Amino acid sequence: MKRTMTLNLSAIEMGFVESLCAEKGLSKTALVRQALRLYKSVDDRLAKGDKVFVENADKTDKAELMIL
Amino acid sequence: MKDLLGNIPLKNRISGEFENAELFHGIDTDNLAHIEGRWRPMFEHRKMEAKGSGKSLSDINAEDLHWQWGKKAIAAIQNPLVYDIFALECGGNTQAVMLVQKGGPKCFSRHEEHPRAPLVYLDFLSTAPWNRPIMVSEPVYKGCGRALISTAVSLSFEEEMCGRIGLHSLPKAEDFYRDQIGMSDLGVDDNYFNLRYFELPASQAFKMFNEI
Repeated sequence: MKRTMTLNLSAIEMGFVESLCAEKGLSKTALVRQALRLYKSVDDRLAKGDKVFVENADKTDKAELMIL
Repeated sequence: MKDLLGNIPLKNRISGEFENAELFHGIDTDNLAHIEGRWRPMFEHRKMEAKGSGKSLSDINAEDLHWQWGKKAIAAIQNPLVYDIFALECGGNTQAVMLVQKGGPKCFSRHEEHPRAPLVYLDFLSTAPWNRPIMVSEPVYKGCGRALISTAVSLSFEEEMCGRIGLHSLPKAEDFYRDQIGMSDLGVDDNYFNLRYFELPASQAFKMFNEI
């Protein structure tokens, strides 16, 4: 069963949502769903005490991804 | 807990007839009992034989023998936001199972056609040992792997990901994904057990579904 919610976003936030939707070819619903999944999968790792790192393309720099 | 998604005709290579397989979203204790009680003894028997004749798990088409589907089922039940698990049944037996991720760090495309676009990541796919060439001299059902890959592509369409799927292949399955499914081979991933990474781009997924 699907449920509906209303989001109150600033113009800047909505601008990002709309540009990401256009770039990824997703509806706003699908974009929020994907964002939730990514957030949960990263948060699950952090909750276990794991660290998440981001490495640059030439592998010369690696930084821990900080989630607030 | 599982839900019937539909029926798929599978060719029984022994009888030459098509049989109606049932595709389920979710797996239950019956499926796990089939895997542990019917798949595993056959795998273990062939493993012992292979060991005696100096063959590797790859040589007997059993590189996934160590996968624990019970744990994977629990992961899918505990985290339905990210995971989906599917089972294919036919002839009173579990013929294949698949675990996919619908979101997370692995679900970004690396394909030049659509870099960073979202995709369904195919985490694990296994077919019953009696359906595997090399493992047995006369494999029974043909098309179990393809049926589950089509399910992943279909899920990707449903999730607005245009049919895109990605996966890391075990060495023995590389030819299948490359030549029979038509996935793009994007090379060895040195960040993931040195397995080759494959993707089905949106253009190929669209073609695949239009051919069916």
